[in-house]
Amino acid sequence: MDNLMLIEHNCETGEIVERELTAAELKQAEKDKAQHQAELARIEALANEKAALLERLGITAEEAKLLLN
Amino acid sequence: MATTTNYSWTTPDDTSLVKDGAAAIRTLGSSIDTTTKNLNPQTTTGALAYRSATSNVNTALPIGTAGQVLTVNSGATAPEWATPSSGAYTSIASGNLSGVSTVTISNISQAYRDLYLVAFNPVASSGRIGLRINGDTASNYQYWKVELDTGTGVGSNGVNVINVGLDITNATNWTYSFYIENYATTSYKPITVHHRKNNVANGTSGWAHWNNSSAYTSLTIVNTDAVNYTSGTYTLYGVK
Repeated sequence: MDNLMLIEHNCETGEIVERELTAAELKQAEKDKAQHQAELARIEALANEKAALLERLGITAEEAKLLLN
Repeated sequence: MATTTNYSWTTPDDTSLVKDGAAAIRTLGSSIDTTTKNLNPQTTTGALAYRSATSNVNTALPIGTAGQVLTVNSGATAPEWATPSSGAYTSIASGNLSGVSTVTISNISQAYRDLYLVAFNPVASSGRIGLRINGDTASNYQYWKVELDTGTGVGSNGVNVINVGLDITNATNWTYSFYIENYATTSYKPITVHHRKNNVANGTSGWAHWNNSSAYTSLTIVNTDAVNYTSGTYTLYGVK
């Protein structure tokens, strides 16, 4: 796996520095990844709950939209 | 005493005594030195010189900041550096995303009204484009987004990055854009986000918020799945 890299772009000087992530930045990146996966799981769970509710009610998603409009 | 035509440097008369030659040369040299310095007052790299109100005495103008242009001050008395006002959008920073997972754009000029950040064709094996303000990695962000093809909406509050798009998953022709209003003010600022796949009718639109009233001085683009992008570009525009 490639090392994670970072660009620092200083608008004032125009200087662009490319370097590897520091240990702290790597830790943050892993935290970001975990949060992203949790977010995807949360959205999927919401979709599953919605589908289960529609099934219990015996209506389609389109019919549910009609009820809410 | 005789003098030179342009700068009135004192030179020996034809009848001056030879014994006074050293002093005459010293006087002439000193005058030349003073005039040269007056005409070249710059002391730093990139500085310019322009004529002052006094003849043969120039004023130094230090170099401006990146992207500035030379213009005339409001009193029409001297040149000065200024951020260009012509055109609604001015490119402040741009570069490639290829080979990096993170781009931090720092020291953003506070001279514009709004900021417009575009990530064009960001390709990676997974993840989404995420945005942070002023390096804040705490859970101070919130957003709401609607997926355009399904019409479904989803929101998050108290997250550590603005994450409003869809998964990249090696797709091409994606454009992510962030429009930040009044970024230089010390009030809470709205961020509008659009994520569009250019070649199909799909994407997301949404709104985001950083729970901090500080002026925005840096923006950080991240990949939310901690992988390097394999291609793509970023451009930050200042909007007048």
